[in-house]
Amino acid sequence: MYEFLQYQVRDAMTVDPIAISPRAKLREAEMLFETHDFNGVPVVDEQRHLLGVLTKFDLLKAFTLDSHAIAPHYDDIMEQWVETVMTPDSVSVDPQLPLSRLLQKLVEMRTKSLPVVENGRLVGIIARQDVLRALRRATIQHQLPAREDSRP
Amino acid sequence: MTTLLYTHPVFLEHDTGYGHPECPARLTAILNALKHSSFAALQWRDAPLAAIEQLTRIHTATHVERTLSRIPKHGHYAIDGDTIVSPQSGEAALRAAGAVCAAVDAILQGEADNAFCAIRPPGHHAEPNQAMGFCLFGNAAIGAAHARAIHDLKRVAVIDFDVHHGNGTQAAFEHDPAYLYASTHQAYIYPGTGRREERGIGNIINVPLLANSGSADLRHAWRQDIEPALRQFQPQFILISAGFDAHRLDPLAELDFGEDDYRWLTQEILKVAAECCQGRVVSMLEGGYNLPALAASTAAHIKALMEAPLAA
Repeated sequence: MYEFLQYQVRDAMTVDPIAISPRAKLREAEMLFETHDFNGVPVVDEQRHLLGVLTKFDLLKAFTLDSHAIAPHYDDIMEQWVETVMTPDSVSVDPQLPLSRLLQKLVEMRTKSLPVVENGRLVGIIARQDVLRALRRATIQHQLPAREDSRP
Repeated sequence: MTTLLYTHPVFLEHDTGYGHPECPARLTAILNALKHSSFAALQWRDAPLAAIEQLTRIHTATHVERTLSRIPKHGHYAIDGDTIVSPQSGEAALRAAGAVCAAVDAILQGEADNAFCAIRPPGHHAEPNQAMGFCLFGNAAIGAAHARAIHDLKRVAVIDFDVHHGNGTQAAFEHDPAYLYASTHQAYIYPGTGRREERGIGNIINVPLLANSGSADLRHAWRQDIEPALRQFQPQFILISAGFDAHRLDPLAELDFGEDDYRWLTQEILKVAAECCQGRVVSMLEGGYNLPALAASTAAHIKALMEAPLAA
């Protein structure tokens, strides 16, 4: 019944996730989103220190109409560095965080995934689907025993 | 009522490069719409070249020389990321400004009641010393200055309903009480100017509209801000910077105007013109980037010009 409360982020996260460099082009980030079904990708330096997160939302935002050009320069924007449009200093979680608390955070922030950081380095990523999978595991293994008095 | 239509084949040769939204097909779409029999009464005229003295009433000589010197012999040259020129762009820009000056002359000499200039490149972003936003020379401002200089008019108004603020026209007029500039435009998009607080010497009326504003907001802007200012100014001549990119189908902005709104606004401007200045109006094309919407909206605008009320 309450097995979910035993889980930590480390039990459900994707370990050593794909990340992207701050100097990668937006075009490469778009390819990454195209190839994998990610909504966001952590941005890390060469030592895997977390610098930020680049989401599909950040990418879309780079192409909105604004006061700088009468029409967005779509090709030029694709050549911009990831670090120019990423969300820097993004929220991250510790692998030991109880999964119940992580769930709470995802709902409150309406976010789709969060990077998992240990000693400043990216060690995983935890997404909505990972939590849903853990919930399934925690609930289907333990059907309630049938009660004697419910028999006819 | 007689309405003149100024245009020229060279406007179709101002080539801005593959995929550019300000493309020759815009004008083709408009001219095709005007082939319909309901426009048979339009009097077509060729747009003449503007003289350099007509341009330098608004622009610095440096700007005129620099702009014309950047016209390439082959291919394209990017004045900025938006503003691309090709071999025929210089002549097109000179004929665009020339069309407006010639139309002003024709109307003030009583040859017709009003006129529409189907021209490219557009003009209202071109500042006295800077080409930008698809624009090389400030066609509307140049026409207004021409009306003052040659016909000795004391009060000339420009109404600008393009979805982008006409920073160039504003910059040309903001210190001169002989001009009134009134603009509706979408807030926070290109070029970033046109805040309500930008009032010049009281002769600039900016009505920025939020994304998704539509018919009701346009009517409110006209009734509340623009019409009262225009009537108080008592213009002797009205120019219209007619951009149709506030249309709900336009890809470069997010306002929700339709053909009926353009017809309505044109009729409202013409009512004031009939009362203040014997119906003298010269309108000119600025933006508008969805071709069917542009053609239908321009047609509605020109139809309204052709059916203008009799002057008081």
